[in-house]
Amino acid sequence: MAQKKRYGFVIDVSRCIDCRACLVACSAENKVGMKYTRIWVRDLGVKGEYPNLEQTFVPYNCMHCENPPCTQVCVSGATYKDGDTGLVLVDQEACIGCGFCVDACPYNARYLDRERGVVDKCTGCIQRLQVGQQPACVTTCVGKARLFGDFNDPGSEVSVALKNARTIQRLDYELPDGAHTEPNVYFINGEVMDPQVQPHEPAYSLAETSWKSLLIPAVLAGIGASFLGQATFFTKQLVEGEKEFEE
Amino acid sequence: MTDLTLSRRDFLKISGAAAGAVMLGQFLPPPVAEAARLAGQIDADGDGYIPTLCEMCVWRCGVRAKVAKGKVVKLEGNADQPHSQGRLCARGQSGLMTTYDPDRVLYPLVRVGQRGEGKFRRASWDEALDIVAKNMLDIKEKYGPEAMIFSSTHNLSQVQFENLLNGYGSPNYGTQRSLCFNAMVLAFSLTYGVEEPARNYDNVEYILLVGRNLTEAISTSETAALMDALARGAKLVYLDPRYTKTAAKATEWIPIRPGADAAFLLAMIQVIVTEQIGDCDFVKKYIVGCEDLPKAMEEYTPEWAETKTGVPADTIRRIAREFAAARRFALAHPGWRTSNFINSFQTERAIATLNAVVGNVFEPNGCLIAASPEAAGVPLGKPPQPAYPRISALRLDGVPWKYPLVPLKLGVFQELRDSILGGQPYQAHGWFISRQNPVQSLPDRNRTLEALGKLDFIVDVDVILNDTAWFADVVLPEASYLERYDPLSVVDRKIFIRQPVIEPQGEAKSALWIYKQLGERLGLGDYFQYEDEEDYLRQQLAPFGLSLEELKVKGYLDPDIKRNNDEITFNTPTGKIEVYSETLAKAGFSPWPTWEEPPAPEPGAFYLLTGKVGQHTQMSTQNNQYLHKYQDEPRIWMNAQSAEKLGLKDWDLVEVTSEVGSVKLALQVTQAIRPDSVFMTPGFGKLSKGLTTAYGIGASDSVLHVTYTDPVSGGQALSQTCVTVKKA
Repeated sequence: MAQKKRYGFVIDVSRCIDCRACLVACSAENKVGMKYTRIWVRDLGVKGEYPNLEQTFVPYNCMHCENPPCTQVCVSGATYKDGDTGLVLVDQEACIGCGFCVDACPYNARYLDRERGVVDKCTGCIQRLQVGQQPACVTTCVGKARLFGDFNDPGSEVSVALKNARTIQRLDYELPDGAHTEPNVYFINGEVMDPQVQPHEPAYSLAETSWKSLLIPAVLAGIGASFLGQATFFTKQLVEGEKEFEE
Repeated sequence: MTDLTLSRRDFLKISGAAAGAVMLGQFLPPPVAEAARLAGQIDADGDGYIPTLCEMCVWRCGVRAKVAKGKVVKLEGNADQPHSQGRLCARGQSGLMTTYDPDRVLYPLVRVGQRGEGKFRRASWDEALDIVAKNMLDIKEKYGPEAMIFSSTHNLSQVQFENLLNGYGSPNYGTQRSLCFNAMVLAFSLTYGVEEPARNYDNVEYILLVGRNLTEAISTSETAALMDALARGAKLVYLDPRYTKTAAKATEWIPIRPGADAAFLLAMIQVIVTEQIGDCDFVKKYIVGCEDLPKAMEEYTPEWAETKTGVPADTIRRIAREFAAARRFALAHPGWRTSNFINSFQTERAIATLNAVVGNVFEPNGCLIAASPEAAGVPLGKPPQPAYPRISALRLDGVPWKYPLVPLKLGVFQELRDSILGGQPYQAHGWFISRQNPVQSLPDRNRTLEALGKLDFIVDVDVILNDTAWFADVVLPEASYLERYDPLSVVDRKIFIRQPVIEPQGEAKSALWIYKQLGERLGLGDYFQYEDEEDYLRQQLAPFGLSLEELKVKGYLDPDIKRNNDEITFNTPTGKIEVYSETLAKAGFSPWPTWEEPPAPEPGAFYLLTGKVGQHTQMSTQNNQYLHKYQDEPRIWMNAQSAEKLGLKDWDLVEVTSEVGSVKLALQVTQAIRPDSVFMTPGFGKLSKGLTTAYGIGASDSVLHVTYTDPVSGGQALSQTCVTVKKA
């Protein structure tokens, strides 16, 4: 019987040259707007004093957590952890663009696409996975720093890379409720202890009692599940209206 | 049209109208899609993959272009092609935005305003070609064919470009090579008899990169091979005044004084030959001058080199010993853009020698292969053509009468520009430019603009209105590399094809078509004996009996030509590696690799270093929206210590001044550069307002560069300019 998949990334930090082929590949593959990016290469900056210098580049994207805080705060159910692949995805038809998940992610790995009014993020290029291809960023990575595969398969490229790694770092984060995110991105062969890539306390969590967390579920419940589409539309208006007011 | 002047907005209107025309035309099956469908590459919906070759730089990676309903939607590296091995760099990935650049020139343009005003009107191909041909024929009749300059560089259609200039009868051929690799090509040609030896990273244990910033000046397969070697544990010693991304990956970064690389390398050779730790058998058998080499290198001790390079003698000695210990698994990279100082030719000769004395020039295990990577061995066919007319006029770039050793096909581009200005040995009157941007690439932009002003006629072939097209009288719109055929490419004895993956937009045409049309109007039709692009390619394949249809489907064909594994010979006068070169001696230059002192900045001034970033190719890609999206703001780098002395802060707007020009741009304060140097990346500071994405960003280094020419190789010394920096 086929085992459950746990897809994720291994990032070999020693191999990243910050060429940004991955960034362009992602933008083209996923038609990401010119103002946005789904993935990043974090330049941790030139450390030390001339001439004793060090510089590390850290490819970065959604951690596809085992225990993702983003799904917990999603009011429309648009953000979910895919049962088949383990990837954390957004159903953009259902997304109302409220942005709670953006604030809830301790890794800053999501963004609100204001033109489209939806949240967007790395999907592990699931459309490519479905036709047997690797994610666009992995396929084109010039330094071979980005690897992708199933951690539940001990023979996969990512499992083998973890086995042979000199160092392994997983940017795990303890959530306010005591649970851990358990990210499915592992950084190997290089130190990435840097404020730039450290998870931070979510700006929004379920525990928060703002009008949003009370009102929106109430609205949804009030309208009823059979009119979810309309409710989504209505709530989208509500939230976008509120955001405009904030600006 | 009553008002012949077109604004940017009018361009867009015309584009819209033409898009409508294209839609109507699609009642007939568009030829590219039809061919791809018949070949089984795309389905009935127009979706699929078509193999072709990249042209975002000159490395020519294999591409699989994903097309959907007549549009190219994604580019993938082609795993079957040695230069990509399935990967594309940021520029390769961005190729579709070069094709879909909203600033594309899609129709022939004829200038209506003053030069540089950017006012053009749309013309038909017939009219534009007639204007070009008439001007070229007038110049030929009045002043002789030598009064017409032709320049273009390093592309697959170059062979037909050369037919145009040679058939027309002009000796004046401008390439960008003297701004790039003249020093490397001439040094390796003289020493090994090969222009650019291939590098083999399969077994490499010790890599010396002399300013070769392989992780930012990316050649996809070679950069990947370097990263593989490092992951395997190979040692990388990297010489550069700047802490680049290659330095970040190096085992050891040596922040050497600019212009002093040769001193470091000569001292390494001195240590290896004096201590006899090289490959002595190889040295005796294959090197001319091996007996006298220790004597010739005698004065270049590590202690002497320390005074020139600022690198401790012990470090140089240790690196020399480590390099020699790695023997044939050591590699001193020949470099690429080696136009840095007027002594860069000597740096290259020293690199050639260093490889020779450790005996790494063996196939298949050695790390340097004394054979061109694009090794012929595959004799492609060619359309028949008559002999070229005899040319007696001197070349305006001084080759060979002023620069006796510079190969004709390399030339001295900056000298060509200066001779337009000086009118000596005769006055040039016209310039035909194809896929080149001398306004930004030549040193001293003001002089280049002045030279353009002296010409009667300028025609430019390009896909966008780059800075040179902006000053042209006629702009001929070329189809982008995803829309056209080019002559075939040979890599590792396999034949690769660049083919259209979508229909050309607007009225853009291939260079093969443009040159032929023009050739026929100039009475040179016999040099263009092909019906169309496919016919040209069929004639190239004819000697092998291979089919174009199969090539189009697979993207490459293997003509199965065997390598010959003969005794190593070198294509030099002696058939050996000429560390001692009689050719150089006869031309009045040092026969040995030797030290020439480069100039240093006055107190308070800085060396102006320039070099690539991983997101751009020279001056051509800054308008690409994807690359624009992911580029860093182009700033001038300065060491924090120097900035503090000058009272400058990060992001300050500064004025940078050389003896020929001045620019303003933002400052980047960093630890990652020597205190005596500043750094800029080329290609920004555009003059052309036809580049709406790139216009207004950064500054152009070409405004600052002073023209200095190496008398041996003709290379422009691009790092020899010194500048002062103050708050703007």
